Amino acid sequence: MMGKSLLTCSVAALLLGTGSLAAQETLKIGVADALTGGAAVYGLPQANSVEMAADEINAAGGISVGDETYMLDVIVYDDKANPTEATNAVRKLIDRDGVKYILGFCCSGATGAIASFIGYEDAVMLVGNAAERSITTQGLTNLVRTRPPADYTGAAAGAFVARQGHKRVAVLGALETSFYASYVEAFEEEFAKSGGEVIAHEVFASKDRDMSPQLTKIRAMDPDALLVVGYVEPAAFAYRQSTELGMDIPRYGFTSGSEEQFLRVATTEQMEGVWDLRPTELTLQSTTDAGLAYHEHYLERFGDAPSPSSPYAYDQAWALKHAIEAAGSVDDTEAVAAALRDLKIFPEAVMQYRPVNGKMFDDNGQAYTANGAFQWQDGHWVFVEELPSDPEAYSEFLSSLN
Amino acid sequence: MKFKTLLMLAALVLFLALPQLITVKYYLHLCILALIWVIMAQGQNLIQGYTGYVSIVQAGFMGIGAYSSALMGSHFGLPVGMTIILAPLVTAVFALVAGYPSLRVKGHYFAIVTLAFNMVIFIVLLNFTHLTNGEAGISGIHKPGYGRGAMIDFYDRQVYYYFVLAIAVLMTTLAAVIVRSRIGQILLAIRQNEDLVASVGVAAWRYKLFAFVISAMFAGLAGALYAHYQSFINPEIFGVAQSMDAILAVIIGGSGTLTGPVIGAFFVVFLPEYLRFADSFRLILYGLILVLATIFMPRGIVGLARDLGTRFGGRK
Amino acid sequence: MTEILQQIINGIAIGGVYVLIALGLTIVFGILGIAHFAHGSVSMFGGYLTFFLAAQHGIPLALAITIALITGMVLGVLIELLAYRPVRHANHINAFIVALGLTMMVEGANLQFFGAEQIVIPTGATRVFSIGGVTLPELRLYVILAAAALIAAMTIFVEKTKTGQAIRAVAENRDAAILMGINVQMIPLVVFAISTALGVAAGVMVGSLFAIAPGVGEGLVVKGFAVLILGGLGSIPGAVVGGIVLGVTEALAAGFISSAYKDVIAFVVMIAVLLLRPQGLMGRA
Repeated sequence: MMGKSLLTCSVAALLLGTGSLAAQETLKIGVADALTGGAAVYGLPQANSVEMAADEINAAGGISVGDETYMLDVIVYDDKANPTEATNAVRKLIDRDGVKYILGFCCSGATGAIASFIGYEDAVMLVGNAAERSITTQGLTNLVRTRPPADYTGAAAGAFVARQGHKRVAVLGALETSFYASYVEAFEEEFAKSGGEVIAHEVFASKDRDMSPQLTKIRAMDPDALLVVGYVEPAAFAYRQSTELGMDIPRYGFTSGSEEQFLRVATTEQMEGVWDLRPTELTLQSTTDAGLAYHEHYLERFGDAPSPSSPYAYDQAWALKHAIEAAGSVDDTEAVAAALRDLKIFPEAVMQYRPVNGKMFDDNGQAYTANGAFQWQDGHWVFVEELPSDPEAYSEFLSSLN
Repeated sequence: MKFKTLLMLAALVLFLALPQLITVKYYLHLCILALIWVIMAQGQNLIQGYTGYVSIVQAGFMGIGAYSSALMGSHFGLPVGMTIILAPLVTAVFALVAGYPSLRVKGHYFAIVTLAFNMVIFIVLLNFTHLTNGEAGISGIHKPGYGRGAMIDFYDRQVYYYFVLAIAVLMTTLAAVIVRSRIGQILLAIRQNEDLVASVGVAAWRYKLFAFVISAMFAGLAGALYAHYQSFINPEIFGVAQSMDAILAVIIGGSGTLTGPVIGAFFVVFLPEYLRFADSFRLILYGLILVLATIFMPRGIVGLARDLGTRFGGRK
Repeated sequence: MTEILQQIINGIAIGGVYVLIALGLTIVFGILGIAHFAHGSVSMFGGYLTFFLAAQHGIPLALAITIALITGMVLGVLIELLAYRPVRHANHINAFIVALGLTMMVEGANLQFFGAEQIVIPTGATRVFSIGGVTLPELRLYVILAAAALIAAMTIFVEKTKTGQAIRAVAENRDAAILMGINVQMIPLVVFAISTALGVAAGVMVGSLFAIAPGVGEGLVVKGFAVLILGGLGSIPGAVVGGIVLGVTEALAAGFISSAYKDVIAFVVMIAVLLLRPQGLMGRA
């Protein structure tokens, strides 16, 4: 008898306990990103920034839907930027953990694998740093991406280099990686409009560190300028070896590497004058108050400065919060996906988005940021000017594909 | 013998009942991958376990199978069922070309040359973008059957599970037939003493080439099944690391046995799930398992089980 | 003409690295019959260690390299004792699988200790020599000279010293060597120590001239074996010639045929040699 009443008591207490929490529920969101391996330089900061955003959202009162308030709970899985691992991670999030909102996604291969089936799932996918264009050309209504495709930036870069008065440019890059190839393609098209010509397309693989054969070939062709397109690790060697081969021509690039990454490989003299033509992303000289706060909080929490591309994921989390609140439901993924596409640029956004038809994401689910020209001056990347980009025109072009 | 048949039947029943036993669908997904790996591992076992030649190109052949099946579908509009059958044949052609020079060198050097081939396949998949779309990969690969919601709907993972299970059983049976045939006996003899085989007037290289090509066909088939299951492929998953996993599967399961690759395949697919806590040590741990297993358990889990079985049986 | 000369110069420096890797492989293979696949990863461990000591702890570079060389020799001895010796009498396939397992372990350990980001050993050597339009960075010259010195030292050791003669005796006829009173238990240890030291030297070169990152060692060991196939298995002159041929072939292929497929072209050359001259360029038929 005693035992039974005790039990009743504790059940009642439990009920009471949960009763008082009824207005505050938990919403599980997932992150699939590269936490280990070569791509972790991009993936890990993204995963960190989602966790940071979730804590900030929770601290600010969570997500309010009707009378309920949802606190975010982030589940992070490592996809190693590998398609099979990414599929496993997302399957696990959806099938086992019951997650409906999946963020992160730094790298194109893994993202492509998920994009190929996410359209059939009751879930919403928010893509970050992966720059492959085709991710937002498949007509997936439950997918959005915060990073602009590489060719959007490539076109702006082409216009910029043409304005510098160059006519013959040699390209050296990771052209087997399709988003780099599409950057170059768009560059070439825009560059040709002012009579410019790309006279060489030399390739390096992601593990190559000796580009002197390619550069020797380029040197013999005597171009006006060099364009280096690829991940920072090999690209830094291309810059170093170009000076070692005595090439004294203007050098442009699309690498998004930090000062530290370049200085590990090349001296600041070898880097002097190099241009980086890329999405503006997070740079302290050009950012907004939200960006400065982001930098400060990230540094405080993780002990490292945030990578320039990590806010793509941070902005996903806030975009999701606003969309869920606008949709008025956490369960109706279709409504949330629609609300994302209807979202206006919000004040918490760290990246400097350029609206299309007044909205953050266009009909393809694609967001656009400003593009910038940065130059290496005296050991630092210096923001020089904004690149001439046209999100509205690009958005139309994107819609015309597939 | 009777006990063995009983055991096999029990295993088959278990495999048939598995989808009903699994409550979390994620594990069904892993089981499908594991069954695809059973086919891979059976192929690897023919060349590695029975013939005694370590081939480090299986993942590359898997890639050829995957890409050829996907591309035949998208370029020539062939039905998926047909491309899955054609994919191993395409792979066989590549294996013939690769195998002929590779098999001129014995032992270790065969392994190195095949590894070089895996690298070549990887580089070509990555750079031949007109056909392969490079690193971005091919997405939207069709499933077999008549699309979503058809009577037999391959988008339903349970259906795909049984589909792959049937093929895995078929291929395991095929491996058994080859091993028990005269060819299989010669392959075993080559493993024991190749010079002796040559000295009795058997053209050993033909048999080695046969084993190599057949093993490639297994891998090509696995690749095709993989492509149509995942609907997405890119070069990343067909690199040398994946070939190493095939070797690991055979060694762990038990090389030169038919059950070994089955156990080994499930091992390599499921082990990472249970090693998540030690994710950063995974590579070290895998390597350690490989070294220790080779030194102390050269006949794999199956060999260990047999030893235990005979000891247990002996006491009775 | 400048272009061809420049490409040959470009190829010789990387060729020197290939030669050192191949030398380490060829003595292990020629004398012990082991395809030491983990050699590349172990070599990179030496490069990492040098970086760790020199760049992160401020130890002078020469001292750091010496410590790395000695550590490498110890590691080589341990690998022989703990991993290869237990499978010495088993089927040759077992030794190779042990080698694969070792590769994974060493790669994993490198990743764990030194991280996934690429490292470059700082040398401060940034001068560039230029003769008639052909440029040669100071550092590349040092690498070529160091490789030449090591090749010479290695040849003298094998030809002139007592230990070297004992090693050759074991390689030629193990039983006769035992009768001659050579301690055959010791020989594999010496061979692995030398082999790993050569590898560490190559690792330091790769780390200062280029960079060390996950996967670099595996890539190099495959090139090393390609050199052996080119030059002739177990042949020291073959490793030297093969390494330089491979380095220059790659540079010329990248410069004049296709940079995307330069590795493919290098492997095609290897396979062509295999078909036309299976004993290698310098091997005896």
